[in-house]
Amino acid sequence: MDVKVEGGDEFANASYEKICDDIFRDIGLRSNIDRAYMYCNAAEHVFIISVKIGRVPSPVKVWDVTQREGDKLRITDEKYAPKLLALMWDKYGDRVQQISRLVIGFELKEEEIPDFNDLIVYDPREDLNTRVLDGIDRILPEGARVRYPMPSTEGITIIASENQIAEEWKEKAKEVMSKMEMTSGEGGT
Amino acid sequence: MFTGGVYKFHELKEVIEDIGGFVLQEMVMQTETMMHLAFPEEEERRIRDKAKELGGKLKDLPLAGAEIMIVVPSLGKHHAVYPMCDIAEFLRRKGAITNMMGLARGVGKRIAQMTVQEKAIIEECDAAVFVLGDFKECIEEKAPKLCESLNVPYMIVGGPPDLDLPHYVGGVGRRTRRMNRKADIDKLEEMTAEFKEVLGGRIEEIEEDPLAASPLFVKEMIEMTLPPKAGEELPVVIHLDGLRVKIEEGDEGKIRDIEIGKRKLSEISEIKKSLYEGYLVKILTEAVTGGIF
Repeated sequence: MDVKVEGGDEFANASYEKICDDIFRDIGLRSNIDRAYMYCNAAEHVFIISVKIGRVPSPVKVWDVTQREGDKLRITDEKYAPKLLALMWDKYGDRVQQISRLVIGFELKEEEIPDFNDLIVYDPREDLNTRVLDGIDRILPEGARVRYPMPSTEGITIIASENQIAEEWKEKAKEVMSKMEMTSGEGGT
Repeated sequence: MFTGGVYKFHELKEVIEDIGGFVLQEMVMQTETMMHLAFPEEEERRIRDKAKELGGKLKDLPLAGAEIMIVVPSLGKHHAVYPMCDIAEFLRRKGAITNMMGLARGVGKRIAQMTVQEKAIIEECDAAVFVLGDFKECIEEKAPKLCESLNVPYMIVGGPPDLDLPHYVGGVGRRTRRMNRKADIDKLEEMTAEFKEVLGGRIEEIEEDPLAASPLFVKEMIEMTLPPKAGEELPVVIHLDGLRVKIEEGDEGKIRDIEIGKRKLSEISEIKKSLYEGYLVKILTEAVTGGIF
């Protein structure tokens, strides 16, 4: 992930670069974001943040997180265990039992197995937007509560301020988006 | 501060009592003991020898006897927990009792404000530390609005390294990680040194116009009348010019009637209910009340 912060003084820029880096790492998005750019104008209290989303990991399937041991499945990544069990109980009901913490027993016919292996346990795209917006919310100063989001297909740009957002900042945000090689989208409130 | 084992530590307490010193805080954790002590400077050798004999350590606490409020613009994840908790923890290690406070509407630049009640709560403490963010322009506009009206000494901790503000320490700002590296610890040390100076002014003021009775002495007297309950943490907090006594409402009368020398506590101090916790006892100066003996 490439992070750049401009507009503030030297200390603020360096500090916000670190904040962006740490926060996106904390919410597990660092490898999914291509570039993040932030423009800070503390004198007029306007902050523009633009995030370009890059490669998103492919959906996690049953065979990615389990290992077959005869008529049992051993969960290899416990993080997905609740979602996996919920999915299997939903689809196969009583034919699936949780034998121990990481072992699942199943009574499935051999022809059902390939379909079963391809079931999607978790799709990172599902909550990607929520997570990106949560990250942006944590980065932007808390006082900047007036927001103007400008979404695009590749990512999102948000203008934040404590005052009304003037046209010149919307123009600036468009400039930022073109620099980030994102297509300009419709603005909202 | 004495830290050591529980073996014979009561002997140290006896020595302290013999020389007319006080135990400010005492904490026994299984086999470990921690005590904050106050004693006359000339007796330091004796106490040091005793601590050595017991196999413990004696450490100087420059901020002992002060209750400090750490104020942040809000308690949201932008300001808490780092660096506010690091700063509070460091001041606690230097002997201060710290409280933390997030303002209701302290965020932003133009919109930042402090309510009258918040101001009154901060002024109950001996001093305040304001932990602000990274932007020079924001701090320059916010600091006078939030801090200048306060009647207690204050210090501002912020991001930009050089700002022309009174009692300002820069280089901290917004953090997402604990301040536990060497450079961070040095910064916290620098902050404590500045804070000592801030508090020093207030201590000097009190020394020039002494109080009718020492808060330490009043604490002893209160504890003789209302012994602390088992497991209660810091029932009496010492301030530079008084105390915070955490008692139930019915016990207020008992506090008022405590005899300090030949006077009652209510005669030599102002007692009022704290907006935050317990009752505040503000000891008047000797010039106002006259001698207590």
